[in-house]
Amino acid sequence: MDRVDGTDHYEGDKQGPGPSLLVIVLDTNPHAWALLNPTLPLSKAISNLLVFINAHLASHNANQVAVVASHCHRSVWLYPRPEPPSEDVEMKDNAPALNDANKYRPFALIEDSLLTSLRELISTTTENDISTTNTTQMAGSLTLALTYINKATLLFSDSNVTSEPMSTTLEGPENTTGLQSRILVISVSGDLAHQYIPIMNTTFAAQRMRVPIDILKLAGDTVFLQQASDTTKGIYMQLRNPQGLLQYLMMAFLPDQTSRKNLVAPTQEVVDFRAACFCHRKVVDVGFVCSICLSIFCSPSEGAICLTCSTHLALGDYGSKPAVVPRKKKKKRKLNGGVGTPSSRGGTPMPNE
Amino acid sequence: MSSSDEDYVADSDDDAGANQPSAKHGTRSSGPVKASGDAGGRKRAAWEDIQRSWDTIVEGADGSINSAVEGLREAGKRKRLLKDTTPLQRGIIRHLILIIDLSFAMVEKDLRPTRYLLTIRYASEFVTEYFEQNPISQLGIIGMRDGIAVRISDMSGNPTEHIEKLKGLREQQGQGNPSLQNALEMSRAALFHAPSHGTREILIIYGALLSSDPGDIHETIQSLITDRIRVSVVGLAAQVAICAELCKSTNAGDEGNYSVALNEQHFRELVMAITTPPVTRTKKQSQSSLLMMGFPSRTLGSGKTMSFCACHSKLSRGGYLCSRCNSKVCSLPAECPACGLTLILSTHLARSYHHLFPLKNWIEVPWSVAWSENSKACFSCLSKFPEIPKDVGADGEPRRKPGEHKGTSESSRYACEVCGNHFCIDCDVFAHEVAHNCPGCQGDTRAGEKDGIVRDGARGDGDVVMVG
Repeated sequence: MDRVDGTDHYEGDKQGPGPSLLVIVLDTNPHAWALLNPTLPLSKAISNLLVFINAHLASHNANQVAVVASHCHRSVWLYPRPEPPSEDVEMKDNAPALNDANKYRPFALIEDSLLTSLRELISTTTENDISTTNTTQMAGSLTLALTYINKATLLFSDSNVTSEPMSTTLEGPENTTGLQSRILVISVSGDLAHQYIPIMNTTFAAQRMRVPIDILKLAGDTVFLQQASDTTKGIYMQLRNPQGLLQYLMMAFLPDQTSRKNLVAPTQEVVDFRAACFCHRKVVDVGFVCSICLSIFCSPSEGAICLTCSTHLALGDYGSKPAVVPRKKKKKRKLNGGVGTPSSRGGTPMPNE
Repeated sequence: MSSSDEDYVADSDDDAGANQPSAKHGTRSSGPVKASGDAGGRKRAAWEDIQRSWDTIVEGADGSINSAVEGLREAGKRKRLLKDTTPLQRGIIRHLILIIDLSFAMVEKDLRPTRYLLTIRYASEFVTEYFEQNPISQLGIIGMRDGIAVRISDMSGNPTEHIEKLKGLREQQGQGNPSLQNALEMSRAALFHAPSHGTREILIIYGALLSSDPGDIHETIQSLITDRIRVSVVGLAAQVAICAELCKSTNAGDEGNYSVALNEQHFRELVMAITTPPVTRTKKQSQSSLLMMGFPSRTLGSGKTMSFCACHSKLSRGGYLCSRCNSKVCSLPAECPACGLTLILSTHLARSYHHLFPLKNWIEVPWSVAWSENSKACFSCLSKFPEIPKDVGADGEPRRKPGEHKGTSESSRYACEVCGNHFCIDCDVFAHEVAHNCPGCQGDTRAGEKDGIVRDGARGDGDVVMVG
């Protein structure tokens, strides 16, 4: 009897949708959170986020979660925590929280780990760190998230499917039974123009791995995160009322890729496809592109030498008003023609006479 | 070859326990070796000197070959990685004509299922990968059959169009003689309009050992040189003198562009190698220029009235608005019909930036360094490294076990030279092949500032600054 039950259970488990891995990139830029403090303090956002994480874990027994903090100068794993370098393992007072009988243990574990590492992160942030920058290490956090997903997918396929030696990195057919991964970025910072290239690199890596990057924007506006979510077919949401964070998280970001096929996901009306120039890190909509290396410049450089590949570039006839110049010439020609040959053509305007 | 070796090894891993005491392979391998030994001092031909994967494996102390298999796997992964990261000037805006042999020679079944079907399959993969790597490039496909050149698809930047046409070929079969000259002349004509700042290339997949040409092919080669068209050939049967000459003379004396496929896997590798943009050799080969381009924003236009697009005069809601004159274009890349500005998606350009700033190869970490830095887990994916053995001290000399493979790290750790973090082999492969970012350099900018190195986003990430 037992044996029959066992196989039945196994078969049933196989049929269902695969588990999903959610990697959350939490932007912990102190400047932006300070601005956001009156409407949504960080502590409240974290508690909302924990509820969301629990909901994600509860929706499938094999679901996984990972959280990266994108801080002002570094990106740090919040959960799972990296091993401390020192040998002596801290056996401290996390026992009472974990032994709470009223809390599902995995939830408590994540909460404890996340809060501890976040406290650690904030306490190790020096004043100097905050004063030297006002942006966040988004590119690094996204790279960390992607490497984690890559590893998790490899491990998952190793343990579950014995054949098929893995081809996640190459474009393969979409697998629905494997580990479904996605990234959720909770972003509060503004411009990320100085990380243009690394961010775009991560975007294309995510696209190749078929990992959607969802963006939840609490404040500020970034062109490149819009592009990232658009390229990877993720969800982009700019919140008008950050107080309702949990509601937005639960309604828009909880469904995984398989269920999203049956839902109408919120999209962005206008996708900003502007690029950042390499010379001044300005976001431009019309730029000059070197034909050798495709670097973008906001204005033709002095001496027409590309700053990236230092080739001498022939400047095309890019006057300030290219569309207008030829028309003027035509008029002149017509006038000249009219004045120069008055006797032959006379006053006849018809061309086919 | 390496991959097939790996396959064999992977298989043998499962039944290692069963096979182990018998060690039958000794008898199998002895055949040809004995024969050559009998002949005395006779020099062995290349095909006799076979490398067998099972000869190189050394059994571990416990009699299993697990460690050797792991080593081989890692070596295979690493081999793919250790490519040259010297920044070379490459022609990123490419114009390429793919010539496929559709002659009688392609009916052969030495490549499974047939040369013809395999070529079409790889050609479709090539098209996809080509546009992945060279997003603003152009491609055209020409076939050779019945002594003439057949146009399969015109020069365009749309991969789906090419793949559709290639799919259509699957119904047919190879027939008639191939004609190199006709195909080359047709591709020369197709490449005539390619602008001077782009490259002009031809890739020929050639199954036959002959070419039936109407005239002197050397004249065609001469005109290819004057038109600065480079030709690469992937042969399927054996080396053909005219192909070697063709490649040599159109590539400034470099013979590297002609190769003959050994097997299916090698064939694929050869074809896929062409997707990397070619190195620019001389100034003459490409005249560089600064192009003015617009990066328009996309609008979905839902809830608004429909409007005509400027390019096809079709009614549509969404589209891209030219960043200079605001006329609506329905697809990119395009030239604005109103003001003539080249409009392109910035994401198209950004796809090729990793060619510009390649990520440096990471170095292997010996046990001594692993001990002194006390690294326990991969920086990026947090997976644990193998434990540091107790007997290694700060002065621990590298103890290479016999049978260990070169190029792999004895401690399974790989370090980025810029940020000094340790990573596992999977993250190494991933960072170099897919992400093109170093997680460590991107993740922490404090270290650099402490050392007084000023970093700015794009260049501080362990990338090499390209010097032309």
